[in-house]
Amino acid sequence: MSIKLEHVSYTYMPGTPYEKEALKDVSLEIHKGEFVAVIGHTGSGKSTLVQNLNGLLHPAKGTASLDGVDLSGKTKEAKLARGRIGMVFQYPEHQLFAETVYEDVAFGPRNLGLSADEVETRVRDAMKFVGLDFETYVQRSPFSLSGGQMRRAAIAGVVAMNPDYLILDEPSAGLDPGSRDAVFAEIMALYKKRGIGIIMVTHSMEEAAKYAKRMLVVYKGEVILDGKPGEIFLKEKNHLLEAGMDIPEVYKLADALRAKGLRLPYEITDAKRLLAEVKRRKGLK
Amino acid sequence: MEPVIETKGLKHVYIDSDNNPVTALDGIDLQIMSGEFVAVIGANGSGKSTLARHFNALLLPSEGSVNVHGLDTLDENNLWQIRQDTGMVFQNPDNQIVAAVVEEDVAFGPENIGVPTEELKQRVEDALRAVDMLDYREHAPHLLSGGQKQRVAIAGTLALGSRCIVLDEPTAMLDPKGRKEILSTVRKLNREQHITVVYITHFMTEAMQADRVIVMGDGRIKFQGTPRDVFSRVEELEKLGLEAPLAAKFAFELRKSGVKLPQGIITNEELAEALAGTFCA
Repeated sequence: MSIKLEHVSYTYMPGTPYEKEALKDVSLEIHKGEFVAVIGHTGSGKSTLVQNLNGLLHPAKGTASLDGVDLSGKTKEAKLARGRIGMVFQYPEHQLFAETVYEDVAFGPRNLGLSADEVETRVRDAMKFVGLDFETYVQRSPFSLSGGQMRRAAIAGVVAMNPDYLILDEPSAGLDPGSRDAVFAEIMALYKKRGIGIIMVTHSMEEAAKYAKRMLVVYKGEVILDGKPGEIFLKEKNHLLEAGMDIPEVYKLADALRAKGLRLPYEITDAKRLLAEVKRRKGLK
Repeated sequence: MEPVIETKGLKHVYIDSDNNPVTALDGIDLQIMSGEFVAVIGANGSGKSTLARHFNALLLPSEGSVNVHGLDTLDENNLWQIRQDTGMVFQNPDNQIVAAVVEEDVAFGPENIGVPTEELKQRVEDALRAVDMLDYREHAPHLLSGGQKQRVAIAGTLALGSRCIVLDEPTAMLDPKGRKEILSTVRKLNREQHITVVYITHFMTEAMQADRVIVMGDGRIKFQGTPRDVFSRVEELEKLGLEAPLAAKFAFELRKSGVKLPQGIITNEELAEALAGTFCA
């Protein structure tokens, strides 16, 4: 099972003075069960890329497909394929619209034509997944929730569609560290329990390093780097800085310690291991 | 020295959509001095954005008072002056742009208060130069990067004559390069032009650049001090849903394990310096 882009190019407003080639001949494959971070500066083409991955935009050249079904097709099959790829936009809480949390989360499943019982099961499961207690919140107005809760309610609406792939556009933008960790705990639970594919656009190098198994770096409409986040942050630091990106804080701390004479193995990429190594070198357990 | 902003017993109560009163600010006493760079941090719902909106009378006190340059925000006659004195920059750059050309966008505010044309031109030019966007004066704002758009928004407040700028999570939607641009612009305005800055953020690395950090929680000021004081309080920050810088967390953990380290370590370099030469093979 995979989403596949083959030689995909995309141009905004073709044939006008504002014509902009946002994607240039991109080919890649993302399998179900992968957790992929997509990074790149504003205007690099990463949003265009993910919108081509779920059929919201159709390639000007090349094809985007899910298990061999062209996502730009007009057939019933193509429509079903697009429905298997959920998208959580940036600031998803801005898309809440219904009078109660229940109605908001139920909107998608109901549109799938499910029975009332099935819809309720989906809503219960989705709310449980994002950590919103059904009895407490189901009749509340989504607009009376806190920022973090609103975001979780909005994510529940997409989870209730039971997608095989979930695309998240900056899921933590504007959240405090506590709410951010809570949202990620839910995303990771979803990823692990349901084995879905996750594609996450982020401006946070820390999140890419911490959660993703694979990272795509988009620059000027091309995927210039594709690999394990740890390896890219270690080996491509200068490349990343040139592309307007950064490296996670733990790499910077490790560099500062190395500059003061601490010999550290280069593969240390998470804070816990770095701390353990520093303690070991201080003669502590 | 005169405070630019002074709040006394400031309370803000609003009615939520379920008709329950919510106390968003619960007795804030605060002075922000001329030329200060103050960062405000706090979890979502801690009241920091509400507080910021009181600084230029977008919100009015339910109890207590807010004075901006000595003018009471509750007196309607003061509103125009207060909003010129204190400029606001919000999170989403796309929601703040009104014109199709950068210099017209920056001119929008001063034009509305009737600044004469010659002076207007000068103000716009000075403002764009101050944020390093003069080369883009004739560009279309929607084609700029996020960091550039936010700098145009800052220029808009400068052109209005604001000597105090309140920025509410100005970098939340920006990429790493954009974040650096905004922070260095704000620091430069603060240092070179002595603009008073109130900077609300979720990024602790940004708050570390301020003169003073105010930590909000449950509508109150929980504690405040220099970045060094505030970010050394690792456990208290975590209780409030916030996060200390990585180096401070490391120093905290190492001290717990019995390593002797000086107090107040918050940067990577300080930690590395304190540990230098003490490692065993």
